[in-house]
Amino acid sequence: MASPSNPMTIAAPAPANAGAGARPAVPEGRPADRERFQWGSIALLAPSMVLLIVLFIIPVVYAFYLGFTNLQLVGINAAYWHFTGLANLHQLLSDQVFRTSVWLTLIFIVGSVVGVVVIGLALAVLMQTALAPLRILAGGIVIIAWMMPAITAGMTWYASTTAGGTFGTLLGMPNSDFLHNEPLLIVTLANVWSQTGFAMMVLGAALRNIPRDILEAADIENASRWQRFTRITLPLLRSTIVTTVLLIILISLANFGLIYVMTQGGPGNATNILPLYSYQQAFQFNNLAYGALVGNALVLLCAIFGVIYVRVSRART
Amino acid sequence: MTVNDAVLAPAAAEDGLVKPPANPKSLRSLGGQTICNILLGLFGILFLLPMAWLVFASVDTHASWGIEVPHLTGHNFADALSGSNLESIINSIVMAGVATAIATICGALAAYALSRRRIPWKGPLLLGVLFLSGVPLAILVIPVFQMFSTIGWLSLLPCSLFLAVTSLPFEIYLIKNFIDAVPRDVEEAARMERASTFHILTRVVGPLALPGIGAAAIYGFVTSWGSFLVPLVLITDPTQQPGSIAIFGFIGNAYVRYGDIAAFSLIYAVPIFLLYALSSRLFRGGFVLSGAVKG
Repeated sequence: MASPSNPMTIAAPAPANAGAGARPAVPEGRPADRERFQWGSIALLAPSMVLLIVLFIIPVVYAFYLGFTNLQLVGINAAYWHFTGLANLHQLLSDQVFRTSVWLTLIFIVGSVVGVVVIGLALAVLMQTALAPLRILAGGIVIIAWMMPAITAGMTWYASTTAGGTFGTLLGMPNSDFLHNEPLLIVTLANVWSQTGFAMMVLGAALRNIPRDILEAADIENASRWQRFTRITLPLLRSTIVTTVLLIILISLANFGLIYVMTQGGPGNATNILPLYSYQQAFQFNNLAYGALVGNALVLLCAIFGVIYVRVSRART
Repeated sequence: MTVNDAVLAPAAAEDGLVKPPANPKSLRSLGGQTICNILLGLFGILFLLPMAWLVFASVDTHASWGIEVPHLTGHNFADALSGSNLESIINSIVMAGVATAIATICGALAAYALSRRRIPWKGPLLLGVLFLSGVPLAILVIPVFQMFSTIGWLSLLPCSLFLAVTSLPFEIYLIKNFIDAVPRDVEEAARMERASTFHILTRVVGPLALPGIGAAAIYGFVTSWGSFLVPLVLITDPTQQPGSIAIFGFIGNAYVRYGDIAAFSLIYAVPIFLLYALSSRLFRGGFVLSGAVKG
């Protein structure tokens, strides 16, 4: 090898198609080997790929199949179960609780996304101007809320919103049980509370990346603060906001523990969003197969969001 | 617009040189800043309110769901860290630790191959991995429960294995991004010396990508530690339950000990706080960790 800088200068401009030609300075030997397939690569990939196939991809496929069987958690159908065709699907389509559950899921998601993004963006903007001590204090509190494990967040929100809790006491209605009266609202608020820190950090980083001279140029043109925000800041943040929205959707759907700790889907199915309903059918009503089918409906929902997410994140990089 | 740009660009640049990099000019109007400070303060208080119970009740002898001036005691913390409660925290440590070790080692190997080796269908493979990191766990637990119950695996370690798999896609992605940033010529030099792949991984690339591997490990630990649904379904033996499930034992008791619940919830959050503090030292801002779905 001539000099150590050689491979770098060649790799830097076109790392993707380096094998196409254009490697005159490098003598034949090691660098070319890299482009050839090595069997050792399989050994490096194997542990991850085996795990992902056996415990991730196969279960997803298996869940799809289970949704069309009569498998039960206990009883005779736990041992002897078989394919039952579209019977479960018929049940699902006429299942009032499922229909409600889909609605609750959508309301929960939309409420969470709007709350998280609006408050997260507001915080990120405010932090740019506010005094340093206040910025650190408020930012720290929001981030601590975001870091809390689901059970801790769920417990403290349960305590704060149940009869005699902090919110009731402060609002002068110590005996009103907010969690029981407005369960979906409170659960959504708790979710917003526990996700906002993430949006605040991501959007804050994006805000700091906006070149200052653009804003100053707008300043000299006598743009008002609102104009500057809607005409410059928001358009520049668009792709970051889209990514954040999709991540918040997925994270909220996965925030099973928070809702389970607070309400377990109740009272009377009022917070029974799809992940909880799937669990309830499978492990409380013993209908493993039907629970799997409800899960499949959730897969469909997530697949739609997931495809959008992959497209967006590919467009950005 | 182009004229303006040309005229303004040097002026703005000079401006930046003269002043220290403070807030943009017009945002510094005094009224605006006061309003910003007040609003931010209000948000801070609103976010702090729900935490109040956690802190007050955890040190209160007569804790309830309500909030009151506490009769200070350390008993709640002592209770939360004794007997079966301590056992459940140890279970959590084992569960999250094993899951993290599996996911990080497998993830680092795969990330290296995906970053440096020629792999057929690498693009679709990476896309698939990215896609998997968005699949919610709620849909996986039923089939995995059925698989594990068939082979009698409904216990702590298989549960860890499954948790490792769920954090694996994002860990691969995270570590790969860090290895991509490690210059190739360092590795070339080692290869010239006839270093084996194992040597290159452990002595050359590994140490250079350590912040990324560390971040991935922290991500894996945090998600496994906080996971609730997976151990709830996949661990049947009550003595093997991690802390996140054990907390229900507190409520199920005939005599609910509110102070213990608060203290235990707080203790359960401490490792997460410490790890995030560590990760923000590994590299500025811990938000890189949060790109995937929390369990």
